[in-house]
Amino acid sequence: MKTNREKYNCIFTELFEVNESELNDRFNFGIASKWDSLAHLELITQIEDTFEIMLETDDITHFGGYENGKKILAKYGIEM
Amino acid sequence: MFLGLDKQDRNKLAVKDNEGNQLTYGELSAEVAMISKLLKPRSIVFILCKNTVGALVGYLGFIEGNAVPLVLCSGIEIGLLDSLLNEYTPAYLWIPSEMVVDFDYPVEFDKYGYSLLRTRNEIYPINDQLQFLMTTSGSTGSPKLVRYKKGNLEANAKNVAKAFGWTVDERPICDLGMQYTMGLNVINTHLYVGATILLTTYNLMSSNFWDYIRDEKATNFTGVPFSYDIFYRLHFEQMDLPYLTTLSEGGGKLTNARFIQLAEYAQKNKKRFIASFGTTETSARMACLPAELALYKPGSIGRAIPEGELFLIDEEGNELIEIEAEGEMCYRGPNVTMGYAINKEELLNNDDFNGEYHTGDLARRDADGCYFVTGRKSRFLKLLSYRVSLDQCERLVQEEFGIECACIGNDHRMDIFITDESKKKYVLEFISKKTNLFKTLFKVFVIDYIPRNDSGKIRYKELHKEPER
Repeated sequence: MKTNREKYNCIFTELFEVNESELNDRFNFGIASKWDSLAHLELITQIEDTFEIMLETDDITHFGGYENGKKILAKYGIEM
Repeated sequence: MFLGLDKQDRNKLAVKDNEGNQLTYGELSAEVAMISKLLKPRSIVFILCKNTVGALVGYLGFIEGNAVPLVLCSGIEIGLLDSLLNEYTPAYLWIPSEMVVDFDYPVEFDKYGYSLLRTRNEIYPINDQLQFLMTTSGSTGSPKLVRYKKGNLEANAKNVAKAFGWTVDERPICDLGMQYTMGLNVINTHLYVGATILLTTYNLMSSNFWDYIRDEKATNFTGVPFSYDIFYRLHFEQMDLPYLTTLSEGGGKLTNARFIQLAEYAQKNKKRFIASFGTTETSARMACLPAELALYKPGSIGRAIPEGELFLIDEEGNELIEIEAEGEMCYRGPNVTMGYAINKEELLNNDDFNGEYHTGDLARRDADGCYFVTGRKSRFLKLLSYRVSLDQCERLVQEEFGIECACIGNDHRMDIFITDESKKKYVLEFISKKTNLFKTLFKVFVIDYIPRNDSGKIRYKELHKEPER
């Protein structure tokens, strides 16, 4: 059974085809390579499916990046 | 002056962007006049566009100065930019100042975050009617350019403004890139009527975009189907947007379900939903469906804009005169461009289209003269509304990997068939990179052999019947 962090990291590494080592506070929407709006839509869908939650609009638009995303998920009871 | 900019109320705000720049019509006219003197007349200038004041004043000023801009996305794939630079040898580049380091040319001028570079290229002869160049939306390999003649952009600005009823009070949010025919059309149309354009570089999925719409009290938005996918993902129908009174769509076909959703949203909230249709070859829009018909004609693109005419032809090229008919949709009007160019010599060509354009889209016309697009004659897709040539993708894969390849698909996904299993992952990466489109828009299938007929042509209808390895 994967931990929440492992599941979260896996979504990123597979979607953006990057190594875990690149997942940090600089890995952000609109800046990280390939993270455009289509990728963002896909990311949100995968996060919602994996963690069985429905993100609110503000949380989708404020998701921002890999690190910030963790804070948002904490609001939904997903601890890492 | 181009688009009649100098005839507007000098004190009225013309444009604002997300970088803190804004200009009144008086200031904009002065900048355009100044910039118009910077370039040698009839020179080609590449503009690497972002939706900012810098890019805008360049585009307006260069046209005013009788130079010929080619508008490109500032994020253009480097291989594609190189091939365009080599082919069209522009005398100047107008680029975001932070990109100056990527080029080895002297900066002659800079303002609003943009810099003018003078390349080592000479000015060369081009047709005297040529005013502007655009790539056919999106590109794979070396794209065709569309040649705009003098009068195209202004005619479309005027007629689309009339069709939509735009007035000086509009405040459009300009999200679609100005390097994209419809994005530029939104900008031109509103400048033409003296409205205030709100340029934005914010992503639709970020809170900045929605804050901007609200803070600036934007009155209309024009999107492609994908824009509305994002809108609905963000539950925009639950947002309070009292100033946003018109939603427009173009650049691709909405699903009927989405069309009806938007029409009902508009009716419920006393807003207008206007579907439209256009192409790069027609500067951009040809037709739109009046808002009051949206609920009654889901999926329709409506009727031709003023001064334009839509018509249908059969397979032999004969015009279909029955009111209700189905055939290839064509258009006549002052916004039809001069034709294409695939190399710099072709910039000398005269008007190949002569005011008439065959879209390659199949459509039917109903008893009220409203058109509905039903299919596509030619082999291209609109992925996220970028035109992607299926044949070109096949060639690219064949050349890069030396393997057989067949491409088909719809506007949601391109299906790529190959016979070499070891290349599956690389083909996906390659095509995604070449088209600059995210990999989820493509799927690679490995089959035993590509079905062909006796003359060697691929039998596209048989592809999905082959068992996948």
